Amino acid sequence: MDSLSAQEAAQFLYREAALLDERDFDGWLELFTPDCVFWMPAWRDDGTQTEDPDQELSLIYYQGRRNLEDRVRRIRSGLSVASAMLPRVCHLLGNVTIEQHEGRAQKVRSAFNINLQDVRTGRTHTYFGHYVHLLQAEGGNWRIARKVIYLLNDVIPTALDVYAI
Amino acid sequence: MASAEPDTPDSPATYAASADKTNRVGRDPATPFRVSDLIDDRPNEGIFRVNRAIYRDRDLFDLEIEHVFERGWVFVGLSSQAEKPSDYFTAFIGRVPILVSRGSDGTLRCFVNVCPHKGVRLVRNVAGSSSRFVCPYHSWTFDSTGRNCSIKWKSSGCYSPAFDADDHNLCRVAQFGEYRGFLFASLSLDVPTLDDFLGEARKLIDLAVDKSPEGLELVPGRVRYTYAANWKMQLENCADAYHFTSTHPSYIKLLNRRAAEEAGDVVTATLGAADFWQEGAGGASGGSMSFEHGHVLNWGVMPVTSAHPDFERAEELAVKFGIAKRNWMFNMRNLTIFPNLQLAENASTQLRVIRPLAANLTEMQTWCIAPRGESGEARTMRIRQYEDFFNPTGMATPDDTVCYEEAQSGMAEQERPWLQGHARGSEVSVVGGNPFSEMIDLAPSYSVLSDSQLGDESLFRSYYRAWAERMTGALNG
Repeated sequence: MDSLSAQEAAQFLYREAALLDERDFDGWLELFTPDCVFWMPAWRDDGTQTEDPDQELSLIYYQGRRNLEDRVRRIRSGLSVASAMLPRVCHLLGNVTIEQHEGRAQKVRSAFNINLQDVRTGRTHTYFGHYVHLLQAEGGNWRIARKVIYLLNDVIPTALDVYAI
Repeated sequence: MASAEPDTPDSPATYAASADKTNRVGRDPATPFRVSDLIDDRPNEGIFRVNRAIYRDRDLFDLEIEHVFERGWVFVGLSSQAEKPSDYFTAFIGRVPILVSRGSDGTLRCFVNVCPHKGVRLVRNVAGSSSRFVCPYHSWTFDSTGRNCSIKWKSSGCYSPAFDADDHNLCRVAQFGEYRGFLFASLSLDVPTLDDFLGEARKLIDLAVDKSPEGLELVPGRVRYTYAANWKMQLENCADAYHFTSTHPSYIKLLNRRAAEEAGDVVTATLGAADFWQEGAGGASGGSMSFEHGHVLNWGVMPVTSAHPDFERAEELAVKFGIAKRNWMFNMRNLTIFPNLQLAENASTQLRVIRPLAANLTEMQTWCIAPRGESGEARTMRIRQYEDFFNPTGMATPDDTVCYEEAQSGMAEQERPWLQGHARGSEVSVVGGNPFSEMIDLAPSYSVLSDSQLGDESLFRSYYRAWAERMTGALNG
């Protein structure tokens, strides 16, 4: 469990994507470490992305799986009109490359293209960008210690939730 | 009248029906709209109603973009977006691209962002710093004060003397002014002074700016989103005290759970410490105020607690401004400066700019605003609360915008054109202020003092009266 091949890393990322597409949110949450970072930066006016989540705005920033569990709870609550008719989502991942070790963790970069059918409105949307995952061996399994979502099309049509990024 | 309306993002099938031209109420296609067909304002009879057509009709949209946005004061940005000489940023007034540039002389100026030669948009960047602006088409060049400093191959151009006599500089926007870093502009000369336009609402801008001796700033990171509904849905929602417990129960449940857990890694929430929205709260817990020219405030009492990112300055602000003004700085305040600026200080602190794109499509530009010089811890707390509540990727705003879109769908209804959504609070709206406004020497035109369940809607009337005023000339009486 010391290192991942690019192929093993890709299999891991595909599994995460499939869990989201299948709306298996419990399975998805289990992929994360309890103190994980989940981060989607925003864009600055100079065309660069924000880099310091404590002093600059992000689209989403959480430290701790506990906060992702809140997101899932809201989606399932039946109390959010924006979550009442979940869109159909298909994640496509590619260009998976192993970057470097960070201590016992492995950095994996990939590209994503997500197509979404909003069943409420009949509209379709596409989201695309890059992921950087930091994967960490824990109890015989790889877990996500950090996931950064670099969303390139950042004018969001109405709403965007964790299952579609 | 031609309608050149952009479609909603991606496939607009659901919304096409609402733009059906054959299905228009209250008007002969050959004659202009009448105000009274759109806004039924009879204060003596306790009636104020708005016709659904005002949110839906494409011809009416063309008229309002021209008269409401392009012939009156609108917010264009903050002076801090162009802080140093030669800094600039771009924006829009209605459909017209504009450029706000701080000249090498340090003066801010506002131009139509268009080269006078062929009408090409001159600056494409959102923001930057440059002492020269070169048109990409034929290289006409302008300096940071808007002066034309080069017409390429001018001497070989065989121009007539009449051309030479023309003004080749960038076109200045007719009116441009600043109030405490907030920049407003008008493409029409014929507007009140900026001080008259803002009036008493200036004191509410002061509450945001005075939190720091250095004023406020935009936290880096601009979040943009669109929603497929009319811009006035956003105008109203910011002032809507009635929707919170209905639209946001999933967020409220989250607040309650977080309050019970007090875990270190949980995002803290200012609203969790307030009770103005709690259904069981008794007594006066907030209300509304309306001002001249369509500005409105929806507010609620919020305690001065450590859940508030400004808590670190609570004592300092009380000493400097007195307890009353300090407490108002901590209150929940949703301020709209008609027609396109909203300052929302509730779950965190947000500046929103509303940009109508079509009768059924609106773009929102949003920023986290913060007092300059606050501690890193306070800034982080402010940002975390902001993202969770305000972002289109957060847990509250999506439930609002989805409701706007569902409302837009319903605006197609013709059998009963008059909405019933501007009626609450009628019987308790008073001329002038109340003890809460007097605490900070604030003199609204109308005010409502409310308990947690009043959910005043009478404040929306100020929007529509200001709208009607700006539409004078475009509409018949």
